[in-house]
Amino acid sequence: MSADEFDPDIERLFARAPQMPDAALFIARLEQKLQKGSRVRFLALTLAGTIGGVVAVRETMSVNLGVSEGIVAGNALGQGIHSVSLNTRNAIQTGLDQLGLANLELGSMGGMQLFWIAAGALIVVAAAGVIRLSQDV
Amino acid sequence: MTQSLVDRHDVELAALAAAGGRQEFGELVRRHGSAVRGLLRRMGAQASLADDIAQDAFIQAFERCAEFRGEGTFAAWVKRIAARLYIKRVAKEARYVAEVENEDAAPATDHAGLVDLDEALKALSELERLCVSLCHGAGMAHPEIATALNLPLGTVKSHVKRGLDKLRARLQPQAGQPLGSTQHVG
Repeated sequence: MSADEFDPDIERLFARAPQMPDAALFIARLEQKLQKGSRVRFLALTLAGTIGGVVAVRETMSVNLGVSEGIVAGNALGQGIHSVSLNTRNAIQTGLDQLGLANLELGSMGGMQLFWIAAGALIVVAAAGVIRLSQDV
Repeated sequence: MTQSLVDRHDVELAALAAAGGRQEFGELVRRHGSAVRGLLRRMGAQASLADDIAQDAFIQAFERCAEFRGEGTFAAWVKRIAARLYIKRVAKEARYVAEVENEDAAPATDHAGLVDLDEALKALSELERLCVSLCHGAGMAHPEIATALNLPLGTVKSHVKRGLDKLRARLQPQAGQPLGSTQHVG
């Protein structure tokens, strides 16, 4: 702003906040929006965490632990773990069947396939972040 | 003893809000909500649109509270966020083309003869109003406004100058009253 355009009176008038009779309503609406936003974020994170957890457990179960066959002391313990792993695997498979994802066999995917899927997901997330950032700036 | 919210400084409240403090942020909204809403209306937004954008601006401010370092005032920071959101909205709708001027408007005083900035702003064209409000209300520099509105710098300067000339003419003090010395009726 150049010096000749500076007008303290105008500045003073602009600095005064007008009285808003519905200020309380405005704050209440904003509080509602903030709460809704945090609830959506919480749900999204929970969902992502659950999906990630299911996939991780399933992947773990797909690995042949070999505990019961090894030289590990305590064959009973090995058998126990093996049976728990089988039970969990069956439970997860039943869950996936119910969700209509019976054919989801992540374990059968190659390492490279999983790598590219993860890389693709990361690229999408990064692109979304860049777009959001550019909108904010 | 815990300090009450009302006694806390904006910077302190913003720091607590950045850590997720909803109550502290609520206090900031209580303090500056009307100023942000008022600025958006002065920029030319209809009341409901102004309130929507003000809400979005405060939500953004809450999410980015950690970025506020207290270099300027909190109100100025949120006003700039709100101003940018409004510009974006207006640009999307390609709205600021109508150069409706109301040269014959009566001087901007209310029935009690008090100076009314909001009334006076109605005499400005849409762009003049926007440029003057961005400059004097949101504290943006001319080059910044030019970039935000995608206008040549000279055009912004002339809009601000013409807008201020009109405002001064409209806000002629009644019977020697200095501007801004009376109670503002918003």
